[in-house]
Amino acid sequence: MPLLELKNLKKYFATQKAVDDISFSIEKGNIFGLLGPNGAGKTTVIRMITGIFYPDEGEILFDGRPFDPLNDIGHIGYMPEERGLYKKMKIGEQAMYLAQLKGLGRIEANKKIRRWFQKFEMESWWNKKVEDLSKGMSQKLQFVTTVLHEPKLIILDEPFSGLDPVNSNLIKEEIYNLAQNGATVIFSTHRMEQVEEICSNIGLVNKGKKILDGTVKAVKQDFKENLFSVGVDNLPPDMGIAPFDLVTRRENTFVVRIKNGYRPNDVLHYLLQQGLEIHSFNELLPSLNDIFIKLVEGTPLTRQFQQTTA
Amino acid sequence: MHKILLILKREYLTRVRKKTFIISTILFPLLYLATIFGIGYVGERTKANLRVAVIDSSGYFDRGMLERSNQADSSARLVLVNMPVDELRKEYKKLGYDGLIVIPAQTNWENGFKELQFKSEKSYGTGSIAVLQNKLNTIWSEIKNEKLGIDENKKKILSTSVVSVSSGDLEGKATNEKIASTIGMVCGFLIYFILLIYGSQVMMGVMEEKTNRIAEVIVSSVKPFQLMLGKILGIGLVALTQFFIWIAFIFVLYNVTKASGSVDTSAMNNMLGGVQSVFTNINVPLILFCFVFYFLGGFFFYAALYAAIGSAANEDMREATSLSFPITMLVIFSIGIMTAASNDPSGPVAVWGSIIPISSPIVMMARIPFGVPGTVPWWQLILSMSMLVLGFIFTTWFAGRIYRTGILMYGKKPSWKELMKWALR
Repeated sequence: MPLLELKNLKKYFATQKAVDDISFSIEKGNIFGLLGPNGAGKTTVIRMITGIFYPDEGEILFDGRPFDPLNDIGHIGYMPEERGLYKKMKIGEQAMYLAQLKGLGRIEANKKIRRWFQKFEMESWWNKKVEDLSKGMSQKLQFVTTVLHEPKLIILDEPFSGLDPVNSNLIKEEIYNLAQNGATVIFSTHRMEQVEEICSNIGLVNKGKKILDGTVKAVKQDFKENLFSVGVDNLPPDMGIAPFDLVTRRENTFVVRIKNGYRPNDVLHYLLQQGLEIHSFNELLPSLNDIFIKLVEGTPLTRQFQQTTA
Repeated sequence: MHKILLILKREYLTRVRKKTFIISTILFPLLYLATIFGIGYVGERTKANLRVAVIDSSGYFDRGMLERSNQADSSARLVLVNMPVDELRKEYKKLGYDGLIVIPAQTNWENGFKELQFKSEKSYGTGSIAVLQNKLNTIWSEIKNEKLGIDENKKKILSTSVVSVSSGDLEGKATNEKIASTIGMVCGFLIYFILLIYGSQVMMGVMEEKTNRIAEVIVSSVKPFQLMLGKILGIGLVALTQFFIWIAFIFVLYNVTKASGSVDTSAMNNMLGGVQSVFTNINVPLILFCFVFYFLGGFFFYAALYAAIGSAANEDMREATSLSFPITMLVIFSIGIMTAASNDPSGPVAVWGSIIPISSPIVMMARIPFGVPGTVPWWQLILSMSMLVLGFIFTTWFAGRIYRTGILMYGKKPSWKELMKWALR
């Protein structure tokens, strides 16, 4: 059963259709990448899921029932892209405050914060103020406060910005762990290599509309261009009858596109017939980055009028 | 409700625990008193004791008369000089005078003179000139008394014929406008300060949340309206705490000075007597109750508006200042009405000013000490209070609508027109 279902969501602002008929379905335990260029409507979608905005039209189902912001936001953890903390507040108190706002009791909140602080080696920070923290440190604190109340749905908007590789990995591991333990994660970013690494499913939105969704694997299959990389010393000068075209060459590696009606085996067959020594033979699947650019290209990356920081 | 309490608690505790709260609680009354006494003191100090050379061409003045007057009143020193005017004009500084006065020759004691001019290189404040004028008037009336043959006895009889009128209510109990208007003014100004100081605290608090980018984190846990309300209530409670500390402070001070007979100087007794008469003539519990009511009501009325402004502004303090200018003007405008109301507490300006919630917190507090239900009938008080309650419910609703849009909006400074659109959408 999907944890979250968006059905024909619409949200119009005065000058633009920020979200125009978007539907998604996200299964429990999935890590879902919500992708799109700047101003595509991602933040507006997220704000509707977190109950900050009401959709103008459409329906959100959370855990099988219509989304009820008042009660359900306790089961959601949201780390917005525009995030911050009270600078003058002590870190322990800040975490306690945010946890209590999510509905945890004092004792429970304290216990959970101590456990997370231990895990991230932050125990000594309790009485420090946020203004004393580095950007990476406050990012870690922010992550802790987002997942502290064990939400069923975790929404992370650019969670790795400003983190060094070590801390990035730490957070990445935790995201995996949380998904393993049944949490569903929505992950919004522009960094495609992170999406490929982390997400099982993706959805791509542009100009307020969904233009693609599915598992990362399936999407890549759908967009493959029959490209293969062939490692041989050299190709014969005359390739009139070859079942492929040469696309590019880098030293001993050739990228070829198989002609219509042929299969990879035909390529190998041809190469062997020519008496060539084959070092390697790989299918080249498009990266999400390529797919993203291909789909979004040609449309202006940002909309002309930004009504909100969508 | 539980979440509003959590927010309220945080807002309250972080503020009350700050050093600035403790310092301002102690310093504000001191500064307030220092300002009042300081202005008087500085005014007193800047009054120069003028030394004036007098050329008397009329022959009415003599040296002995001026000498006696100088001894009786040292505020300005008059010396009769026998010198041509042109020469004195050049020389007066060398001779040690600040300026000169020429009494014209054709002066007649029965007609007097219209105006004398104090001639000097520098110009002096009206305070110093007034002192000089008083002194010359005293001398001149002495001269006239002498010419008319009025001796000390007759003078006494003349001076006792002055009638003084005081006001009283119908039962013959004395009412004291002076004390009433002083208390009213003090209350009005206190509310004025509280509205401006704590109003801008609300605004800064909202701006802090917006510029620190914590607003979106919080509004994913609570409704924007709850966040705004929690903040306003929390800061209101801080203001109330500060106020009660002052009240407690005054009562302790009052009782300590009364109990300790050692400071039994006449000045202290006079002051205590004055304070006691205030307490017997004025309905203290009613004033205190009304003060707290209008102070909270006014605070809620304006704090909501300031919160809306804070949510609309960006990092730039100048944006906030220019957006909040109209609101601040309303508060300052109320002080203008209050001054008028204090002079004529039953006039139409006072009545309407104390009913319309924009100015009622300040204006009504200036009227109440004059007496309820005398100067302020019960119906006016009740109408004013309910209007204020309706008023702050409206501004809170209105501000809440601007706030929920503004708090998540970054970029260009919105105009007042856009704010209206957010509110009415």
